[in-house]
Amino acid sequence: MHWLNWVIVGLYLVFVVWDGLRRTKGTTNIEGYFLANRSLPWWAVGLSVMATQLSAVTLIGTTGQGATDGLRFVQFYFGLPIAMVILGVTLVPFLHGAKVYTAYEFLERRFDARTRTLTSLLFLLSRGMSCGAIISAPAVVLSAIFGWSLSACVALIGVPTVIYTVLGGVQAVTWADVKQMVVIVGTMAAIIVVLVLRMPVPLDDALALAGATGRLQVFDFSFSLSNQYTFWSGIIGGTFLMLSYFGTDQSQVQRYLTAKSVDEARSSLLMSAYWKIPLQAAILLVGVLVFLFYLFEPAPMLYNPTHDRAVQVAEPAVHAELTQRYDVAVAAREEAARTAALTRAGGDAQATSAALEAYRARDAAVGVVRAEALKAAGRVTGQSSRDVNYIIPRFVLDHLPLGFAGLFLAAVLAAAMSSIAAELNSLSTATVVDFYQRRVKADGSDAHYLSVSKWATALWGLFACGVATYAATLGSLIEVVNRFGSFFYGSILGVFLLAMIPRARAPGAFIGLLAGMTTVGLISWRVPSIAFLWHNVIGAVVVVAVGLIVSVGRARTLEGYAGPRA
Amino acid sequence: MSLRVRQTLVRVLTIQVITLGLLWLLQLRYAR
Repeated sequence: MHWLNWVIVGLYLVFVVWDGLRRTKGTTNIEGYFLANRSLPWWAVGLSVMATQLSAVTLIGTTGQGATDGLRFVQFYFGLPIAMVILGVTLVPFLHGAKVYTAYEFLERRFDARTRTLTSLLFLLSRGMSCGAIISAPAVVLSAIFGWSLSACVALIGVPTVIYTVLGGVQAVTWADVKQMVVIVGTMAAIIVVLVLRMPVPLDDALALAGATGRLQVFDFSFSLSNQYTFWSGIIGGTFLMLSYFGTDQSQVQRYLTAKSVDEARSSLLMSAYWKIPLQAAILLVGVLVFLFYLFEPAPMLYNPTHDRAVQVAEPAVHAELTQRYDVAVAAREEAARTAALTRAGGDAQATSAALEAYRARDAAVGVVRAEALKAAGRVTGQSSRDVNYIIPRFVLDHLPLGFAGLFLAAVLAAAMSSIAAELNSLSTATVVDFYQRRVKADGSDAHYLSVSKWATALWGLFACGVATYAATLGSLIEVVNRFGSFFYGSILGVFLLAMIPRARAPGAFIGLLAGMTTVGLISWRVPSIAFLWHNVIGAVVVVAVGLIVSVGRARTLEGYAGPRA
Repeated sequence: MSLRVRQTLVRVLTIQVITLGLLWLLQLRYAR
């Protein structure tokens, strides 16, 4: 990469850390450190909410998914605006009004200490591990592309983030998020402009080429419990998932607890309700445009350069044969694409249809050779050969004008850091408020808690970097934790829903939570074909149903018991 | 439902209808 690109990345890193250090104002107590003394404006909190959700995986993985699979993934987010509106009128006023530090603290006030402890512990377990995964995903890609060691890439992402999060607390996290969102959105917009300007055929005809391979098929109205990306799973399952994530996950709840008032907290969530689907569609569109770009430019057979080299070294004859077949298939596809675009411009509908059919066949032929190459990469390396995450980074490094690679790398770092910083900050909050202050030392001074909070943030940062460094060997463990996480996400939402029902009682909440988690665990084990988006719906419904039955049953028992005494 | 909530709902709905409408048109015009 050119030195100018490195200067851009260096300037970004220095700026983020320097700005974080500057934002230590008001962090002399834990309310300042964790909640910015509830003083932040809605737009900063709103951008922070969006930046926390948008991780590096979104930038490199979702764009890659757009290139291989098209726009249909956007359906996953259809429930988000609905969830934000529901949260705005239900949980947000409850949580903000209760003046709590963590969402789980609210559960102790409403129910009991064990429900708080269990939900907070589940949050710490899953978020601690997922924070490692959030660092690991971009670190693995950077390591393969630049040939650096994985630990160096983890350090590049993790160290600056830990520094500004430990020293600046939530103020540093939020204001860094604001700038990071600007870097991310600006970079994506610039890449879209460059891609459109460089398209060798008119955009209208190019989009027809994307449409012919199904990449512009956005809506799927079929009802299937096993298909993750349909309109209905997005609207129903997505609403429950987003309600769980934004309403009960401390890494998001803490963002809007820093807002000045309930109204400002509401407005900050609505920013996502307005902009998430357009933003996500634009990110997927980048991937579709990169797919179109590679129709007319030599596309790599394997986007992961390390895997490509590994196949070349271990099986040179196979690599040479595959490369030769791939080059022929790609050239044939390019010719077919140009012919189809020209024919379409000519306006003859029947000829256009035939030309698009021929192009589709050529595209499928390219896919066959690439599948064989991916299989060879998997065989040689013994790793997953899925290279979706490498498509956009390779395109940016190989084809964009000077400076763009640095800007893109800065955007990837920004996306990773904004999510990690928010998670470290919230992990530290839950550790200190829900466990240390609640169970270890209840009468400490503010200075003492502040110091413990900083140490907790640093230790969680160290833990996340450790998980990220050993992610390759911990792979199955992370998967287990993520699966485990999906068992209780909907169930925790169920507990919060119960909290808003006046008849619900503490035993009902706790037993309902256990019942919800067990049901989802059993379904995931016995009926694995059910897509995970539905797990959240099932978990929440079971918790509310069991919770209410237990609460009502217990109330009757108590009435029956208290009656004779009275 | 208060006026403020109704106004917000209308705004959220408007942006979603415009976005989904554009995606729908994209699909109608270009998808196979």
